[in-house]
Amino acid sequence: MISTDTINLISTLIPAIIGAIYLAILFIQLNHSPILGAVIGAGAGAFGAMFFMVPLSYCTFEPTRKPIDVYFGVFLITIGTLASLGIARSASLFFFSGQPRSLIANQSSTGTFKGWLMPWLLLAPTLVILALFLYYPAIDTFRLSTLLARLGTSKTIFICVDNFTRLLQPENITIQTVLFVIIALQLLISSRSTFKDNDSTWAQIFRYSLIVTSTFFFFFVVLALLLTDSYYRVVITTFALSVAIVVFSLTMALGIATMAYQPIKGGNIYRTLLIWPYAISPPVAGIIFFIIFNNTGGIANNIIQLLGGEGFDWKDTTLAPLTIILASVWKALGFSILFYIAGLQNVPKDLLEAASIDGANAWQRFMRITIPMLSPITFFLIITNISYAFFDIFGTIDFLTGGSGGTSTMIYEIYNLGIRNNDLGKASAQSLVLFVLVIGITYLQFRTTGRRVSYGA
Amino acid sequence: MINRKRFLTVVLALLVFLAVVPSFAQDVTEVKVWIAFTDARLDWARERAAEFNEMFPQYNVTIEGYDNYEVLFSATNLAFEQGTNPAIVQYFEAATQDARDANFNGVPHFKSIAEAFGDRTEINGLPVDLTNFVEPVANYYTLDGSFTSMPWNTSSAIMFSNQAIFDAAGIEIPTTWEEVEAACAVIMALESAPANCITWPNHGWFFEQSLAQQGADFVNNGNGREARATETLIASEAAVAYVSWWKNLQDMGYYVYTGVQRDWGGTYNAFIAQDVAMLVYSSSDTTALTNDGADAGFTVTASFMPYNQETGYVGNLIGGASLWLANGLSTEVEDGALTFMLFLTNAQNDASWHQFTGYIPVTNAGLELLQAEGWYDESPNSLVASEQLANSEQTSATAGAIVGAFPQIRNFVTDAIEKVLVNGADVTEALTEAQTLANEALTEYNLLNAE
Repeated sequence: MISTDTINLISTLIPAIIGAIYLAILFIQLNHSPILGAVIGAGAGAFGAMFFMVPLSYCTFEPTRKPIDVYFGVFLITIGTLASLGIARSASLFFFSGQPRSLIANQSSTGTFKGWLMPWLLLAPTLVILALFLYYPAIDTFRLSTLLARLGTSKTIFICVDNFTRLLQPENITIQTVLFVIIALQLLISSRSTFKDNDSTWAQIFRYSLIVTSTFFFFFVVLALLLTDSYYRVVITTFALSVAIVVFSLTMALGIATMAYQPIKGGNIYRTLLIWPYAISPPVAGIIFFIIFNNTGGIANNIIQLLGGEGFDWKDTTLAPLTIILASVWKALGFSILFYIAGLQNVPKDLLEAASIDGANAWQRFMRITIPMLSPITFFLIITNISYAFFDIFGTIDFLTGGSGGTSTMIYEIYNLGIRNNDLGKASAQSLVLFVLVIGITYLQFRTTGRRVSYGA
Repeated sequence: MINRKRFLTVVLALLVFLAVVPSFAQDVTEVKVWIAFTDARLDWARERAAEFNEMFPQYNVTIEGYDNYEVLFSATNLAFEQGTNPAIVQYFEAATQDARDANFNGVPHFKSIAEAFGDRTEINGLPVDLTNFVEPVANYYTLDGSFTSMPWNTSSAIMFSNQAIFDAAGIEIPTTWEEVEAACAVIMALESAPANCITWPNHGWFFEQSLAQQGADFVNNGNGREARATETLIASEAAVAYVSWWKNLQDMGYYVYTGVQRDWGGTYNAFIAQDVAMLVYSSSDTTALTNDGADAGFTVTASFMPYNQETGYVGNLIGGASLWLANGLSTEVEDGALTFMLFLTNAQNDASWHQFTGYIPVTNAGLELLQAEGWYDESPNSLVASEQLANSEQTSATAGAIVGAFPQIRNFVTDAIEKVLVNGADVTEALTEAQTLANEALTEYNLLNAE
């Protein structure tokens, strides 16, 4: 039997060795001393490995722990090491690549501060507020997520990573499911090379949608295997609602903005009215749509019955999510319209005229000039709409369905756990999961769509 | 020169003013009260506070309203941590154990009112008589033999029927589950039948009421009253019987589920819109329901909540909330808080509160005053909840469960019922799963809160 200390030592040593080798190779490529690289790499690797484990005091490797806790510990070490090595790599490239550094502004350029004191002084109020009300609570969430903690008592019990592992259900993993993951991965990899060299628009659209579909497929297969059934359902609902909200709200906003942008009589009033719902808070949107889509005495069913219909069960698992999407899109639409109208005003007229002279019809001008010119705004709107769909719609859900009919999303679960059930530990753990997911999505956004954005000129 | 002189005079006057005003203010003891109402009930409470402040100029009672009990609970906990807590906090009945256990670094937030009253027979001229409270109420809030919190808004679950529909059907209002089914069969066969026969909110409270009716405890250890509850009894025979009957009513097209848990508004509206003939609801809205029904053109008749004829009727329990006294107050503030509690539950205010809302009078004096005024002859519906509670046998089941994490346990119960009603899950399976989850939550709660 290996002692706990040995396991802890090994868990730090392996990442350190990997880091040393990795950065040594990088330094050789940069024509620098591989020994320096190895030292930096070993430090970074060990730091990454210890980043989560030291605060947890290596509890996941205690002998009494379940296998799932051990896997989770290995997962945390891997994540920590990868992140730490990634940063070390970027820093090494920055400092040792031999190219002139451009991070620190040139002293002679205008509009920069001469000393270091003044800028920090001016930033201080913002930084203090951020630190007190954002960073400190965020860091405290990490601490809370490892505790059995309830509102109402200051006593807490350290329970290692139980708040996280209770969301996982590795019993699902069998030979068949592993094969399934491999197939999904294969699909994902091959989709990237399909039609890679074919320049026709349709081939590119096909390729792009194949990549998106297979990415989602892979992602969900992995989630389905790892998560408990009930939490998987919540995650799926979150993604389905978010994608629907973003897609519908952006396409509709662009359509409406294009029409509202036309010079028409009383256009200003018309435009103001369109943006109005944005000023309404999410719970109020929930209440308004509850009054409409409500099985007993709702407006929608009343109208349908007046027309001789039967009326629908708006709270079943098909219609309930749709009403949430409708309410959320309606509420968020104004914001996107506002930005699209502003964006449309900045599309250069001469470009459109030139295209028109070249014989492009309205549809072609819209697709080839307007949409690409709007891409920075679209990119911005996708990010804001995603964060709206992930974080802000719980008020709408609470008043419209109360999470019934398969409409409970991750943020709503967190709200229920933390606020309604006073269970701070579990709520913190779930909010960290959500936090990591949203960071991951935003990162992917910047890596994929972000590169296609044209900022004009 | 003149300007400077004038300026100095003004400054001096201000300084004198500032020095004198607080010395006046010190004579008035501030008593902060936090309650979970933001509607007309908050206005009612504020009017009483104003009267109180006039009667007792040495006190200044201020009442702050919060959206709901959960928000109030969070705010209260933070306030205790920061030492800015109010003197009185209102908590709903299910949070009784949570309120008892609430502490900051081991110092409890609240102290029992019986302890605070001690053996005093009057405070500031108001008589102290804890025996004056009606039995089911006193039983609920007496914990380990001590009257813990001051009863205030108290209700029971009763049934409201659309008398016009029952007259058209020519039948009596049902009292048992079997009779409800029989009545629904007749009502739904009417030519002018409503869309459905009956509804009530999917709220844990009705489940608890039904368990009490059948004489079944909700948690172990004498419903948590002999010792700290360690296990829930959510999947008991009585529970399965109730949810099965409920599901059966839905299957026959009699019961309509609004699709949302804890949907007080939707069920209320269905009854007023005459979409259903019967509504099982909280007696707290008796006055509003009776008036809204009359406005909609039908007579509302209140009756006891139907019970399981197989097990017979044991009794119903109370719901609502009570007022908790903060721990560690100065003698002046504590006496002010106790005086206000006594004032709020004197016969006159008890009766006025009942007439204004439908919450039952919590004191015998209040009940007698209402009877003497002939109020119940005018509005017989208002007496139903009090009578139902008076008719109840006093057992551990009808005293009501005392258990930690109760609000959370309620959510597991309503989740399970929703699975049965919406997804067609098996009753026993759904309740057993809920029981497992509830026991897990309770174990965690007890780990943090039990000595």
